[in-house]
Amino acid sequence: MKRVPGSFGLLLGLVGAALILLWVGADGYKQTLITTTATYALIALGMYVPYLMAGSLSMAYGAYAGIGGYAVGLLSSRTGLPLILAWIAGPVVAAAVAVLLGLATRRLSGFFLAAVTLLFGMAFTALLVDAEGLSGGSGGLGSLRKLNILGWVPSHYQVVVGSLVVVCVIAFLLDRLRMSPWGVIVRTMRDAPRAVEAAGVRVSVMNLVSLAIGAAIAAVGGGLFTYSAGSVTPDTFTLNLVFLAIFMPLIGGSATPWGAVLGAVIAVELTLNFPAVQTSGTLILALGVLVILLLAPQGVIGYASRLARLVGGRRG
Amino acid sequence: MAETLLVGSGLTKRYGGVTALQDVSFELRAGEILGLVGPNGAGKTTLVDLISGAQPATEGELTLRGQRLSGPAARRAKAGLARTFQYPQLALDLTVAENLLLGRAARRHGTVWQMVAGSFAGALRPHLASDTQAVAKLAEELGIDRLDRPAGDLSLGEQRLVEVGRALGQDPLVLLLDEPFAGSDASGVHGIVEVVRTVQRRGHAVILVDHNVDLVAGLVDRIMLLDRGRAVFDGNPQECLGSPEMQQVYFGVAAAEDDQEDASHVVS
Repeated sequence: MKRVPGSFGLLLGLVGAALILLWVGADGYKQTLITTTATYALIALGMYVPYLMAGSLSMAYGAYAGIGGYAVGLLSSRTGLPLILAWIAGPVVAAAVAVLLGLATRRLSGFFLAAVTLLFGMAFTALLVDAEGLSGGSGGLGSLRKLNILGWVPSHYQVVVGSLVVVCVIAFLLDRLRMSPWGVIVRTMRDAPRAVEAAGVRVSVMNLVSLAIGAAIAAVGGGLFTYSAGSVTPDTFTLNLVFLAIFMPLIGGSATPWGAVLGAVIAVELTLNFPAVQTSGTLILALGVLVILLLAPQGVIGYASRLARLVGGRRG
Repeated sequence: MAETLLVGSGLTKRYGGVTALQDVSFELRAGEILGLVGPNGAGKTTLVDLISGAQPATEGELTLRGQRLSGPAARRAKAGLARTFQYPQLALDLTVAENLLLGRAARRHGTVWQMVAGSFAGALRPHLASDTQAVAKLAEELGIDRLDRPAGDLSLGEQRLVEVGRALGQDPLVLLLDEPFAGSDASGVHGIVEVVRTVQRRGHAVILVDHNVDLVAGLVDRIMLLDRGRAVFDGNPQECLGSPEMQQVYFGVAAAEDDQEDASHVVS
């Protein structure tokens, strides 16, 4: 039997998605939780390529998600174009902005890159508040149109299912990208950039490509959230979200993109849906991250696969 | 006479007031193996860096097959240079197979459009059978097994071997090896020698840096002896071993005529 690369992760992802759908059912609150989780997962997946593969920590992901969100908002309120086009325009614009920001910061790395891109994210929020004519100011854009794909208007539940499918498809494709020759080059850039350069690939250019891919994925997430929430404001995609997204792969496991997805599920569950300690969910998450970093530095997936190998090893 | 591949003329590198390399010139022909020897601080790695583009030269020019060779390392790699490093530069959390694949993969991702297209192609078809075969062949030639180990699990000698294999995967016209034998055991040395012979068979050339004059002398066609940034000898390896320059560089004395044989014996 010929194995399809990445199929095992996809299988687990689909099983997880099916379980989540069973758990959600017709509960509106839970449905909103899921679209939020999907958004978090997409932002974390967006960060996966430049941050975990290429090793450069850009913090402008709130802005990229925002661009995706405002693409939906603007297309819906200012034009008569089919809304689905927003998921093309948003990611393209976000990728272009990421390339420009990447060019401006190409000599920075580590702390300085994080600090400057963080500042860019804050400036973007300020811009959205100020540019009232375009963005609707601090009130944002609301009462958005419904999706209409060739006459088919998906229900809220179908949007929930669709968002899970999008997450699974992107995680699957990123998992394959990680293993591919392209992924080998980008992952080598993290520890041995000189070797990549000496092999004939400009590290700075490849970095821009990876940033563009990441920004486009985050913009898909931003568009999804805006659509399911029905509105978007400058405060929709906060820095808090970006910080959470940095930790999601660490929680879930950074070896595969599925770790970012699992991390998003855990983060949303803890911060938004932990019944016992609703107000201090973030605190629980912070403690949880600390415990995971100390006990299972490979994240939940890394820990589980090590257990599986141990058990399998004994059997064999 | 074989085709001239790489020509360096008047290569000089100064760091502020310190001159690391002074007016070094050389010619490398197709199928030739040039040994670059000299004591620590002689400028061997500096010369490799200037050729590969890891550092810009203060003065001097390089041509590869008559074309001027300049600009960043990546451009020179695309023109046909490959190199290894004195301290192996491997991605330690990637597998041996993935590290070996890098050289080959990089050839297909040299331009912006190849990088963009490569990301889509990679997501759609992560593994190409031709890549897997090429990596397996490379590993066999080097004598490396268990390709799914992380490169971080390898000894220093094995890491060098993988790095040499990665460079060979670029199918270079000129392969620059910076102290490839340091830390290698017998089988590692064998694997590296195999790679050098393969490059030679393809009609391409190798520049090999090492302290171990004896080991290099048996392998190379020509030796260039560097001392304090200057090329003090360039010629036949056997002549180099007996040359007064050799005595001067390694023993600090100009050898008298009748001492030469003894001195070369010590070196070998």
